[in-house]
Amino acid sequence: MIILINGASQSNNQPILTVKNISKRFGNVQALKDVSLEIYKGDVIGLLGDNGAGKSTLIKIIAGNFPADEGEVFLEGKKVNFNSPSEARAAGIETVYQNSPVCINATVYENFYIGRELVNNFLGIKLVRNKEMQNGTMEVLKNLEISLPSVKAEIGLLSGGQRQAIILGRFFHWGGKIALLDEPFAALGVAESRKGLKLIRDISQKGLPIILITHNIEYAFQVMNKFVILRHGEVVGAGEKKDVSVEDIVSLITGAIEIKE
Amino acid sequence: MTIIQKKETLKWILDNIAWFILLAMLTIFSFTVKGFAQWPIYRNILYHSVFVGILAIAEAICILSKEMDLSVESVLALSAVVTAYLAGIGLDASGLHLNGPTTLIIVLIMGAIIGLFNSYFIVRMKINSFIVTLAGYLIFRAIGLIITKGHGVVNISKDIVAVARTNIGPIPLMVIILLVIYVIFSLFLSKTQFGRFIYFVGDNREASYNAGIKTDRVLTIVFIMSGVLSALAGWLLAARTNGSSPSLGQGILFEAMAAVVIGGVSLQGGVGKLSGVFAGAVILSSISTVINIVNINPYYMNIIRGAMIIIAVLLDAIIRKIRPKLI
Repeated sequence: MIILINGASQSNNQPILTVKNISKRFGNVQALKDVSLEIYKGDVIGLLGDNGAGKSTLIKIIAGNFPADEGEVFLEGKKVNFNSPSEARAAGIETVYQNSPVCINATVYENFYIGRELVNNFLGIKLVRNKEMQNGTMEVLKNLEISLPSVKAEIGLLSGGQRQAIILGRFFHWGGKIALLDEPFAALGVAESRKGLKLIRDISQKGLPIILITHNIEYAFQVMNKFVILRHGEVVGAGEKKDVSVEDIVSLITGAIEIKE
Repeated sequence: MTIIQKKETLKWILDNIAWFILLAMLTIFSFTVKGFAQWPIYRNILYHSVFVGILAIAEAICILSKEMDLSVESVLALSAVVTAYLAGIGLDASGLHLNGPTTLIIVLIMGAIIGLFNSYFIVRMKINSFIVTLAGYLIFRAIGLIITKGHGVVNISKDIVAVARTNIGPIPLMVIILLVIYVIFSLFLSKTQFGRFIYFVGDNREASYNAGIKTDRVLTIVFIMSGVLSALAGWLLAARTNGSSPSLGQGILFEAMAAVVIGGVSLQGGVGKLSGVFAGAVILSSISTVINIVNINPYYMNIIRGAMIIIAVLLDAIIRKIRPKLI
Protein backbone atom coordinates (compact mmCIF):
# COMPACT_ATOMS: atom_id res chain seq x y z
CA MET A 1 0.00 0.00 0.00
CA ILE A 2 2.68 2.48 0.97
CA ILE A 3 5.53 3.28 -1.33
CA LEU A 4 8.43 4.43 0.75
CA ILE A 5 10.03 7.61 -0.36
CA ASN A 6 13.45 6.23 -1.18
CA GLY A 7 12.04 3.55 -3.36
CA ALA A 8 9.43 5.79 -4.85
CA SER A 9 8.96 5.41 -8.55
CA GLN A 10 10.17 8.62 -10.12
CA SER A 11 11.02 9.85 -13.53
CA ASN A 12 14.76 10.17 -13.81
CA ASN A 13 14.78 13.97 -13.63
CA GLN A 14 16.61 15.51 -10.71
CA PRO A 15 14.73 16.34 -7.51
CA ILE A 16 14.44 20.05 -6.75
CA LEU A 17 14.97 19.47 -3.06
CA THR A 18 16.45 16.49 -1.29
CA VAL A 19 16.45 16.15 2.46
CA LYS A 20 18.73 13.34 3.57
CA ASN A 21 18.81 11.69 6.99
CA ILE A 22 18.07 14.82 8.97
CA SER A 23 18.17 14.59 12.75
CA LYS A 24 17.65 17.36 15.28
CA ARG A 25 17.61 17.40 19.06
CA PHE A 26 16.45 20.15 21.36
CA GLY A 27 17.93 19.25 24.73
CA ASN A 28 16.43 15.90 25.61
CA VAL A 29 13.81 16.02 22.91
CA GLN A 30 14.54 14.20 19.69
CA ALA A 31 12.60 16.50 17.36
CA LEU A 32 13.62 14.80 14.13
CA LYS A 33 15.22 11.42 13.55
CA ASP A 34 16.68 10.34 10.25
CA VAL A 35 14.12 12.15 8.12
CA SER A 36 14.48 12.03 4.35
CA LEU A 37 12.34 13.31 1.52
CA GLU A 38 12.58 14.34 -2.09
CA ILE A 39 10.48 16.78 -4.04
CA TYR A 40 10.26 17.11 -7.80
CA LYS A 41 8.84 19.70 -10.16
CA GLY A 42 5.08 19.51 -10.12
CA ASP A 43 4.89 17.94 -6.68
CA VAL A 44 2.68 19.04 -3.85
CA ILE A 45 3.88 17.13 -0.83
CA GLY A 46 1.55 17.04 2.13
CA LEU A 47 3.76 17.12 5.21
CA LEU A 48 1.40 15.74 7.80
CA GLY A 49 1.48 14.83 11.42
CA ASP A 50 0.10 15.64 14.82
CA ASN A 51 1.22 18.57 16.96
CA GLY A 52 4.81 18.09 17.99
CA ALA A 53 5.47 15.55 15.28
CA GLY A 54 8.36 17.62 13.95
CA LYS A 55 6.76 19.22 10.89
CA SER A 56 7.69 22.77 11.84
CA THR A 57 11.21 21.76 12.85
CA LEU A 58 11.74 20.14 9.46
CA ILE A 59 10.36 23.18 7.63
CA LYS A 60 12.55 25.50 9.65
CA ILE A 61 15.66 23.48 8.87
CA ILE A 62 14.83 23.58 5.16
CA ALA A 63 14.11 27.31 5.35
CA GLY A 64 17.39 28.07 7.13
CA ASN A 65 15.97 29.08 10.52
CA PHE A 66 18.37 26.71 12.25
CA PRO A 67 20.74 23.94 11.19
CA ALA A 68 20.20 20.21 11.53
CA ASP A 69 22.40 18.22 13.91
CA GLU A 70 22.91 15.56 11.31
CA GLY A 71 21.96 15.08 7.71
CA GLU A 72 22.09 17.10 4.54
CA VAL A 73 19.88 19.26 2.36
CA PHE A 74 20.39 19.44 -1.40
CA LEU A 75 18.85 22.06 -3.65
CA GLU A 76 18.88 21.01 -7.29
CA GLY A 77 21.57 18.49 -6.51
CA LYS A 78 23.85 20.93 -4.74
CA LYS A 79 24.44 20.66 -1.03
CA VAL A 80 23.24 23.74 0.82
CA ASN A 81 23.94 25.05 4.31
CA PHE A 82 21.75 28.03 5.04
CA ASN A 83 22.67 30.16 8.02
CA SER A 84 19.53 32.26 7.89
CA PRO A 85 16.11 32.39 6.25
CA SER A 86 17.36 35.18 4.00
CA GLU A 87 20.05 32.91 2.58
CA ALA A 88 17.45 30.24 1.89
CA ARG A 89 15.20 32.84 0.32
CA ALA A 90 17.99 34.08 -1.90
CA ALA A 91 18.51 30.50 -3.04
CA GLY A 92 14.81 30.18 -3.86
CA ILE A 93 13.20 28.63 -0.79
CA GLU A 94 10.50 30.58 0.99
CA THR A 95 8.04 29.87 3.75
CA VAL A 96 4.60 31.39 3.33
CA TYR A 97 2.42 31.50 6.39
CA GLN A 98 -0.60 33.22 7.83
CA ASN A 99 1.37 36.15 9.20
CA SER A 100 4.08 36.35 6.60
CA PRO A 101 5.43 39.86 6.92
CA VAL A 102 4.09 42.34 4.37
CA CYS A 103 3.94 46.13 4.30
CA ILE A 104 0.29 46.45 5.23
CA ASN A 105 0.04 50.14 4.39
CA ALA A 106 1.67 49.75 1.01
CA THR A 107 -0.36 48.79 -2.02
CA VAL A 108 -0.60 45.32 -3.53
CA TYR A 109 1.64 46.25 -6.44
CA GLU A 110 4.24 47.86 -4.17
CA ASN A 111 4.37 44.70 -2.10
CA PHE A 112 4.59 42.68 -5.28
CA TYR A 113 7.61 44.61 -6.53
CA ILE A 114 9.16 45.45 -3.16
CA GLY A 115 12.94 45.56 -3.45
CA ARG A 116 12.63 44.96 -7.20
CA GLU A 117 10.90 48.18 -8.23
CA LEU A 118 10.78 49.07 -11.87
CA VAL A 119 12.59 52.39 -12.14
CA ASN A 120 13.60 55.05 -14.60
CA ASN A 121 17.03 56.42 -14.10
CA PHE A 122 16.96 60.20 -14.14
CA LEU A 123 20.40 61.73 -13.49
CA GLY A 124 21.18 58.89 -11.13
CA ILE A 125 17.86 59.21 -9.30
CA LYS A 126 15.73 56.10 -9.45
CA LEU A 127 12.13 57.06 -10.14
CA VAL A 128 9.51 54.36 -9.63
CA ARG A 129 7.31 53.39 -12.57
CA ASN A 130 4.00 52.88 -10.80
CA LYS A 131 1.87 52.34 -13.88
CA GLU A 132 4.11 49.56 -15.21
CA MET A 133 4.26 47.90 -11.80
CA GLN A 134 0.46 48.03 -11.54
CA ASN A 135 0.07 46.47 -14.96
CA GLY A 136 2.75 43.87 -14.26
CA THR A 137 1.08 42.86 -11.01
CA MET A 138 -2.35 42.69 -12.64
CA GLU A 139 -1.01 40.43 -15.35
CA VAL A 140 0.65 37.99 -12.96
CA LEU A 141 -2.40 37.86 -10.71
CA LYS A 142 -4.63 37.34 -13.72
CA ASN A 143 -2.51 34.46 -14.97
CA LEU A 144 -2.78 32.83 -11.57
CA GLU A 145 -6.49 33.66 -11.38
CA ILE A 146 -6.04 35.53 -8.12
CA SER A 147 -8.88 38.04 -7.94
CA LEU A 148 -8.53 41.27 -5.99
CA PRO A 149 -10.56 44.47 -5.79
CA SER A 150 -7.58 46.50 -7.01
CA VAL A 151 -3.80 46.26 -7.14
CA LYS A 152 -3.80 49.82 -5.80
CA ALA A 153 -5.49 48.73 -2.57
CA GLU A 154 -3.39 48.60 0.57
CA ILE A 155 -2.53 44.98 1.20
CA GLY A 156 -3.51 45.32 4.86
CA LEU A 157 -7.10 45.86 3.81
CA LEU A 158 -7.28 42.49 2.05
CA SER A 159 -8.21 39.15 3.57
CA GLY A 160 -5.64 36.70 4.92
CA GLY A 161 -6.24 34.39 1.99
CA GLN A 162 -5.72 37.13 -0.57
CA ARG A 163 -2.54 38.18 1.17
CA GLN A 164 -1.09 34.68 1.14
CA ALA A 165 -2.12 34.29 -2.49
CA ILE A 166 -0.24 37.48 -3.37
CA ILE A 167 2.87 36.37 -1.48
CA LEU A 168 2.80 32.96 -3.13
CA GLY A 169 2.19 34.52 -6.54
CA ARG A 170 5.04 36.96 -5.96
CA PHE A 171 7.38 34.18 -4.93
CA PHE A 172 6.43 32.13 -7.98
CA HIS A 173 6.79 35.09 -10.30
CA TRP A 174 10.27 36.03 -9.09
CA GLY A 175 11.66 32.60 -9.73
CA GLY A 176 11.15 30.79 -6.43
CA LYS A 177 12.26 27.16 -6.56
CA ILE A 178 10.25 25.64 -3.75
CA ALA A 179 7.51 27.03 -1.51
CA LEU A 180 6.86 25.86 2.01
CA LEU A 181 3.28 26.59 3.02
CA ASP A 182 2.86 26.53 6.78
CA GLU A 183 -0.77 26.06 7.82
CA PRO A 184 -2.10 28.34 5.07
CA PHE A 185 -5.74 27.58 5.88
CA ALA A 186 -5.52 28.18 9.62
CA ALA A 187 -7.67 31.30 9.67
CA LEU A 188 -9.46 31.05 6.35
CA GLY A 189 -13.12 30.48 5.63
CA VAL A 190 -14.34 27.68 3.41
CA ALA A 191 -14.64 29.75 0.24
CA GLU A 192 -11.21 31.29 0.71
CA SER A 193 -9.63 27.94 1.46
CA ARG A 194 -11.10 26.57 -1.74
CA LYS A 195 -9.49 29.39 -3.70
CA GLY A 196 -6.23 28.71 -1.92
CA LEU A 197 -6.36 25.03 -2.81
CA LYS A 198 -6.93 25.89 -6.44
CA LEU A 199 -3.99 28.27 -6.40
CA ILE A 200 -1.72 25.64 -4.88
CA ARG A 201 -2.74 23.19 -7.58
CA ASP A 202 -2.28 25.75 -10.38
CA ILE A 203 1.07 26.97 -9.15
CA SER A 204 2.48 23.50 -8.68
CA GLN A 205 1.35 22.56 -12.16
CA LYS A 206 3.10 25.64 -13.47
CA GLY A 207 6.30 24.20 -12.06
CA LEU A 208 6.72 25.43 -8.47
CA PRO A 209 6.94 22.46 -6.11
CA ILE A 210 5.18 22.95 -2.81
CA ILE A 211 5.47 21.42 0.63
CA LEU A 212 2.18 21.88 2.41
CA ILE A 213 1.91 21.63 6.16
CA THR A 214 -1.61 21.44 7.42
CA HIS A 215 -3.78 19.88 10.06
CA ASN A 216 -6.59 19.74 7.60
CA ILE A 217 -6.11 16.34 6.01
CA GLU A 218 -9.14 16.75 3.83
CA TYR A 219 -7.68 19.88 2.27
CA ALA A 220 -4.27 18.28 1.94
CA PHE A 221 -5.87 15.33 0.23
CA GLN A 222 -7.41 17.59 -2.38
CA VAL A 223 -4.12 19.06 -3.58
CA MET A 224 -1.22 16.83 -2.75
CA ASN A 225 0.13 14.15 -5.03
CA LYS A 226 2.54 12.82 -2.40
CA PHE A 227 2.65 12.77 1.34
CA VAL A 228 5.13 12.43 4.15
CA ILE A 229 3.83 11.65 7.60
CA LEU A 230 5.83 12.41 10.71
CA ARG A 231 5.26 10.99 14.14
CA HIS A 232 7.51 11.68 17.10
CA GLY A 233 10.09 13.07 14.68
CA GLU A 234 10.21 10.04 12.41
CA VAL A 235 8.80 9.40 8.98
CA VAL A 236 6.09 6.82 9.56
CA GLY A 237 4.68 6.87 6.07
CA ALA A 238 5.42 8.38 2.73
CA GLY A 239 4.27 7.80 -0.79
CA GLU A 240 1.78 8.79 -3.42
CA LYS A 241 -1.71 9.90 -2.65
CA LYS A 242 -3.32 7.64 -5.22
CA ASP A 243 -2.29 4.62 -3.17
CA VAL A 244 -3.96 5.65 0.06
CA SER A 245 -7.25 6.82 1.55
CA VAL A 246 -7.91 9.62 4.00
CA GLU A 247 -8.44 6.96 6.66
CA ASP A 248 -5.03 5.44 5.99
CA ILE A 249 -3.44 8.85 6.47
CA VAL A 250 -5.29 9.48 9.71
CA SER A 251 -4.30 6.07 11.01
CA LEU A 252 -0.68 6.75 10.20
CA ILE A 253 -0.76 10.13 11.90
CA THR A 254 -2.30 8.77 15.07
CA GLY A 255 -0.21 5.62 15.01
CA ALA A 256 -3.17 3.29 14.69
CA ILE A 257 -1.28 1.52 11.95
CA GLU A 258 2.44 1.35 11.59
CA ILE A 259 4.53 0.55 8.63
CA LYS A 260 8.06 -0.61 8.95
CA GLU A 261 10.44 -1.64 6.28
CA MET B 1 -20.48 59.62 -10.74
CA THR B 2 -20.13 55.90 -10.46
CA ILE B 3 -19.75 54.21 -7.10
CA ILE B 4 -16.05 53.63 -7.76
CA GLN B 5 -15.52 57.31 -8.55
CA LYS B 6 -17.40 58.28 -5.42
CA LYS B 7 -15.24 55.97 -3.36
CA GLU B 8 -12.09 57.33 -4.96
CA THR B 9 -13.22 60.88 -4.23
CA LEU B 10 -14.00 60.09 -0.62
CA LYS B 11 -10.66 58.32 -0.26
CA TRP B 12 -8.90 61.33 -1.69
CA ILE B 13 -10.69 63.64 0.77
CA LEU B 14 -9.77 61.43 3.70
CA ASP B 15 -6.14 61.22 2.57
CA ASN B 16 -5.95 65.00 2.39
CA ILE B 17 -8.09 65.84 5.39
CA ALA B 18 -5.50 68.23 6.85
CA TRP B 19 -5.91 70.51 3.83
CA PHE B 20 -9.68 70.60 4.25
CA ILE B 21 -9.25 71.48 7.90
CA LEU B 22 -6.79 74.22 6.97
CA LEU B 23 -9.11 75.66 4.32
CA ALA B 24 -12.08 75.55 6.67
CA MET B 25 -10.07 77.28 9.40
CA LEU B 26 -8.74 80.01 7.11
CA THR B 27 -12.24 80.61 5.78
CA ILE B 28 -13.74 80.85 9.23
CA PHE B 29 -10.95 83.11 10.51
CA SER B 30 -11.18 85.31 7.42
CA PHE B 31 -14.88 85.91 7.98
CA THR B 32 -14.97 86.14 11.75
CA VAL B 33 -11.67 87.67 12.84
CA LYS B 34 -11.39 91.32 12.06
CA GLY B 35 -8.25 92.25 10.17
CA PHE B 36 -7.42 88.60 9.32
CA ALA B 37 -8.40 88.59 5.65
CA GLN B 38 -5.43 90.40 4.18
CA TRP B 39 -2.25 89.37 2.41
CA PRO B 40 0.21 90.53 5.12
CA ILE B 41 -1.50 88.21 7.58
CA TYR B 42 -1.41 85.24 5.23
CA ARG B 43 2.20 86.04 4.41
CA ASN B 44 3.00 86.18 8.08
CA ILE B 45 1.34 82.81 8.64
CA LEU B 46 3.48 81.28 5.90
CA TYR B 47 6.65 82.97 7.13
CA HIS B 48 5.88 81.72 10.60
CA SER B 49 5.61 78.13 9.32
CA VAL B 50 9.08 78.06 7.76
CA PHE B 51 11.06 76.77 10.75
CA VAL B 52 8.40 74.43 12.14
CA GLY B 53 7.70 73.31 8.59
CA ILE B 54 11.27 72.28 7.82
CA LEU B 55 11.75 70.59 11.20
CA ALA B 56 8.47 68.80 10.60
CA ILE B 57 9.87 67.28 7.38
CA ALA B 58 12.86 66.00 9.34
CA GLU B 59 10.57 64.55 11.98
CA ALA B 60 8.12 63.15 9.43
CA ILE B 61 10.84 61.23 7.58
CA CYS B 62 11.96 59.66 10.86
CA ILE B 63 8.41 58.81 11.91
CA LEU B 64 7.61 57.37 8.47
CA SER B 65 10.51 54.98 9.02
CA LYS B 66 9.03 54.18 12.46
CA GLU B 67 11.75 55.95 14.36
CA MET B 68 11.79 59.25 16.18
CA ASP B 69 14.17 62.17 16.33
CA LEU B 70 13.86 64.32 19.44
CA SER B 71 17.16 66.03 18.73
CA VAL B 72 15.86 68.14 15.81
CA GLU B 73 15.20 71.14 18.04
CA SER B 74 18.65 71.11 19.60
CA VAL B 75 20.33 70.57 16.23
CA LEU B 76 18.42 73.61 14.99
CA ALA B 77 19.58 75.61 18.01
CA LEU B 78 23.19 74.44 17.70
CA SER B 79 23.17 75.20 13.99
CA ALA B 80 21.84 78.71 14.62
CA VAL B 81 24.48 79.29 17.29
CA VAL B 82 27.30 78.01 15.09
CA THR B 83 26.07 80.10 12.17
CA ALA B 84 25.88 83.22 14.31
CA TYR B 85 29.22 82.51 15.96
CA LEU B 86 31.06 82.01 12.65
CA ALA B 87 29.30 84.78 10.74
CA GLY B 88 28.97 87.27 13.57
CA ILE B 89 30.47 90.68 13.04
CA GLY B 90 30.34 91.80 16.64
CA LEU B 91 32.78 91.14 19.48
CA ASP B 92 30.60 88.38 20.88
CA ALA B 93 31.30 86.13 17.88
CA SER B 94 34.31 84.14 16.66
CA GLY B 95 35.81 87.00 14.72
CA LEU B 96 36.00 84.84 11.62
CA HIS B 97 33.29 86.82 9.78
CA LEU B 98 32.48 83.91 7.48
CA ASN B 99 30.00 84.54 4.69
CA GLY B 100 26.61 82.90 4.15
CA PRO B 101 27.45 80.03 1.78
CA THR B 102 30.46 78.96 3.87
CA THR B 103 28.49 78.88 7.11
CA LEU B 104 25.64 77.07 5.36
CA ILE B 105 27.97 74.34 4.13
CA ILE B 106 29.58 74.05 7.56
CA VAL B 107 26.29 73.67 9.44
CA LEU B 108 24.84 71.26 6.88
CA ILE B 109 27.91 69.04 7.22
CA MET B 110 27.57 69.35 10.99
CA GLY B 111 23.93 68.28 10.71
CA ALA B 112 24.93 65.27 8.63
CA ILE B 113 27.57 64.27 11.18
CA ILE B 114 25.04 64.57 14.00
CA GLY B 115 22.62 62.41 12.02
CA LEU B 116 25.37 59.85 11.52
CA PHE B 117 26.15 60.00 15.23
CA ASN B 118 22.49 59.36 16.11
CA SER B 119 22.17 56.58 13.59
CA TYR B 120 25.32 54.87 14.85
CA PHE B 121 23.69 54.25 18.21
CA ILE B 122 20.27 53.49 16.74
CA VAL B 123 21.31 51.24 13.85
CA ARG B 124 24.60 49.71 14.99
CA MET B 125 24.11 49.60 18.75
CA LYS B 126 20.38 48.94 18.37
CA ILE B 127 19.40 51.47 21.02
CA ASN B 128 15.87 52.86 20.81
CA SER B 129 15.84 56.06 18.77
CA PHE B 130 13.69 57.79 21.38
CA ILE B 131 16.45 57.33 23.97
CA VAL B 132 19.36 58.15 21.67
CA THR B 133 17.81 61.36 20.39
CA LEU B 134 16.60 62.33 23.85
CA ALA B 135 20.27 62.33 24.81
CA GLY B 136 20.97 64.30 21.63
CA TYR B 137 18.26 66.77 22.61
CA LEU B 138 20.19 67.51 25.80
CA ILE B 139 23.68 67.38 24.34
CA PHE B 140 23.47 69.47 21.18
CA ARG B 141 21.86 72.55 22.67
CA ALA B 142 24.38 72.41 25.49
CA ILE B 143 27.24 72.38 22.99
CA GLY B 144 25.84 75.57 21.51
CA LEU B 145 25.68 77.17 24.95
CA ILE B 146 29.27 76.18 25.65
CA ILE B 147 30.48 77.69 22.36
CA THR B 148 28.96 81.07 23.16
CA LYS B 149 29.39 80.75 26.95
CA GLY B 150 25.65 81.08 27.25
CA HIS B 151 25.51 84.47 25.59
CA GLY B 152 23.57 85.50 22.54
CA VAL B 153 25.19 86.68 19.34
CA VAL B 154 23.82 89.70 17.52
CA ASN B 155 24.65 91.10 14.09
CA ILE B 156 25.75 88.53 11.61
CA SER B 157 26.96 88.63 8.04
CA LYS B 158 24.63 90.70 5.88
CA ASP B 159 24.29 88.11 3.12
CA ILE B 160 22.74 85.69 5.60
CA VAL B 161 20.31 88.23 7.00
CA ALA B 162 19.33 89.16 3.46
CA VAL B 163 17.85 85.68 2.97
CA ALA B 164 15.29 86.47 5.64
CA ARG B 165 14.52 89.93 4.35
CA THR B 166 14.31 89.43 0.62
CA ASN B 167 10.95 89.24 -1.08
CA ILE B 168 10.33 87.84 -4.51
CA GLY B 169 7.31 89.78 -5.66
CA PRO B 170 4.94 89.68 -2.71
CA ILE B 171 6.36 86.42 -1.37
CA PRO B 172 9.26 86.26 1.10
CA LEU B 173 12.27 84.25 -0.10
CA MET B 174 12.02 82.18 3.09
CA VAL B 175 8.54 81.00 2.12
CA ILE B 176 9.77 80.08 -1.36
CA ILE B 177 12.62 78.11 0.20
CA LEU B 178 10.09 76.31 2.38
CA LEU B 179 7.85 75.47 -0.58
CA VAL B 180 10.76 74.28 -2.72
CA ILE B 181 12.00 72.00 0.08
CA TYR B 182 8.49 70.58 0.50
CA VAL B 183 8.14 69.91 -3.21
CA ILE B 184 11.56 68.27 -3.41
CA PHE B 185 11.00 66.04 -0.39
CA SER B 186 7.44 65.17 -1.40
CA LEU B 187 8.69 64.01 -4.79
CA PHE B 188 11.57 62.23 -3.14
CA LEU B 189 9.27 60.29 -0.80
CA SER B 190 6.56 59.47 -3.30
CA LYS B 191 8.41 59.03 -6.57
CA THR B 192 11.88 57.69 -5.86
CA GLN B 193 12.74 54.14 -5.01
CA PHE B 194 14.64 55.19 -1.92
CA GLY B 195 11.68 57.28 -0.77
CA ARG B 196 9.44 54.23 -1.04
CA PHE B 197 12.01 52.22 0.92
CA ILE B 198 11.56 54.66 3.82
CA TYR B 199 7.84 53.83 3.87
CA PHE B 200 8.45 50.08 3.59
CA VAL B 201 11.04 50.07 6.36
CA GLY B 202 8.62 51.95 8.63
CA ASP B 203 5.71 49.75 7.67
CA ASN B 204 7.32 46.36 8.14
CA ARG B 205 11.02 46.08 8.69
CA GLU B 206 11.05 42.30 8.37
CA ALA B 207 9.22 42.33 5.04
CA SER B 208 11.60 45.04 3.80
CA TYR B 209 14.64 43.12 4.91
CA ASN B 210 13.29 39.92 3.35
CA ALA B 211 12.84 41.79 0.10
CA GLY B 212 16.53 42.62 0.07
CA ILE B 213 16.21 46.25 1.18
CA LYS B 214 19.22 47.33 3.23
CA THR B 215 17.15 48.53 6.17
CA ASP B 216 20.17 49.70 8.18
CA ARG B 217 21.33 51.86 5.32
CA VAL B 218 17.86 53.33 4.89
CA LEU B 219 17.66 54.27 8.58
CA THR B 220 21.15 55.75 8.58
CA ILE B 221 20.27 58.00 5.66
CA VAL B 222 16.96 58.93 7.30
CA PHE B 223 18.78 60.25 10.36
CA ILE B 224 21.39 62.03 8.26
CA MET B 225 18.59 63.75 6.33
CA SER B 226 16.91 64.68 9.59
CA GLY B 227 20.15 66.22 10.87
CA VAL B 228 20.76 68.16 7.66
CA LEU B 229 17.20 69.52 7.51
CA SER B 230 17.33 70.57 11.16
CA ALA B 231 20.65 72.31 10.58
CA LEU B 232 19.19 74.10 7.56
CA ALA B 233 16.25 75.28 9.67
CA GLY B 234 18.73 76.55 12.26
CA TRP B 235 20.70 78.46 9.65
CA LEU B 236 17.49 80.09 8.40
CA LEU B 237 16.51 80.91 11.97
CA ALA B 238 19.86 82.62 12.52
CA ALA B 239 19.18 84.64 9.36
CA ARG B 240 15.75 85.55 10.64
CA THR B 241 16.90 86.63 14.08
CA ASN B 242 20.19 88.17 12.84
CA GLY B 243 22.05 86.13 15.40
CA SER B 244 21.28 83.58 18.04
CA SER B 245 20.15 83.50 21.62
CA PRO B 246 20.52 80.70 24.17
CA SER B 247 16.82 79.86 24.17
CA LEU B 248 16.39 80.02 20.39
CA GLY B 249 13.71 77.67 19.12
CA GLN B 250 12.84 76.30 22.52
CA GLY B 251 9.74 74.11 22.31
CA ILE B 252 9.77 73.97 18.51
CA LEU B 253 10.23 70.19 18.69
CA PHE B 254 6.70 69.80 19.99
CA GLU B 255 5.28 72.09 17.34
CA ALA B 256 7.04 70.08 14.64
CA MET B 257 5.77 66.87 16.17
CA ALA B 258 2.25 68.31 16.32
CA ALA B 259 2.43 69.38 12.67
CA VAL B 260 3.48 65.85 11.70
CA VAL B 261 0.62 64.22 13.61
CA ILE B 262 -1.98 66.76 12.49
CA GLY B 263 -0.71 66.26 8.96
CA GLY B 264 -1.73 62.62 9.10
CA VAL B 265 1.61 60.87 9.55
CA SER B 266 1.02 57.80 11.67
CA LEU B 267 3.31 57.04 14.59
CA GLN B 268 3.02 53.40 13.58
CA GLY B 269 5.23 54.16 10.60
CA GLY B 270 4.80 53.89 6.87
CA VAL B 271 1.71 56.12 6.59
CA GLY B 272 1.43 59.77 5.67
CA LYS B 273 2.32 62.41 3.14
CA LEU B 274 4.40 65.55 3.36
CA SER B 275 1.64 67.66 1.82
CA GLY B 276 -0.39 66.87 4.94
CA VAL B 277 2.54 67.82 7.16
CA PHE B 278 2.80 71.17 5.38
CA ALA B 279 -0.90 71.76 6.02
CA GLY B 280 -0.32 70.76 9.65
CA ALA B 281 2.45 73.34 10.04
CA VAL B 282 0.33 76.08 8.47
CA ILE B 283 -2.66 75.14 10.66
CA LEU B 284 -0.55 75.62 13.80
CA SER B 285 0.87 78.87 12.47
CA SER B 286 -2.63 80.19 11.62
CA ILE B 287 -3.84 79.45 15.11
CA SER B 288 -0.99 81.30 16.77
CA THR B 289 -1.47 84.22 14.39
CA VAL B 290 -5.16 84.45 15.29
CA ILE B 291 -4.32 84.32 18.97
CA ASN B 292 -1.98 87.25 18.41
CA ILE B 293 -4.54 89.25 16.50
CA VAL B 294 -7.46 88.84 18.86
CA ASN B 295 -5.24 89.26 21.88
CA ILE B 296 -6.06 86.01 23.58
CA ASN B 297 -3.77 85.12 26.44
CA PRO B 298 -0.90 83.28 24.66
CA TYR B 299 -0.89 80.67 27.38
CA TYR B 300 -3.95 79.23 25.66
CA MET B 301 -1.80 78.39 22.67
CA ASN B 302 -0.55 75.10 24.05
CA ILE B 303 -4.05 74.09 25.10
CA ILE B 304 -5.16 74.60 21.53
CA ARG B 305 -2.13 72.74 20.17
CA GLY B 306 -2.80 69.86 22.54
CA ALA B 307 -6.45 69.76 21.55
CA MET B 308 -5.46 69.79 17.88
CA ILE B 309 -3.23 66.76 18.41
CA ILE B 310 -6.00 64.84 20.16
CA ILE B 311 -8.46 65.76 17.41
CA ALA B 312 -5.96 64.70 14.75
CA VAL B 313 -5.41 61.34 16.39
CA LEU B 314 -9.16 60.77 16.83
CA LEU B 315 -9.74 61.73 13.22
CA ASP B 316 -7.04 59.31 12.16
CA ALA B 317 -8.75 56.52 14.09
CA ILE B 318 -12.07 57.31 12.41
CA ILE B 319 -10.47 57.41 8.97
CA ARG B 320 -8.86 54.05 9.61
CA LYS B 321 -12.30 52.61 10.28
CA ILE B 322 -13.78 54.06 7.11
CA ARG B 323 -10.94 53.30 4.74
CA PRO B 324 -11.35 49.51 4.50
CA LYS B 325 -14.80 50.12 3.06
CA LEU B 326 -13.33 52.18 0.25
CA ILE B 327 -11.32 49.56 -1.62
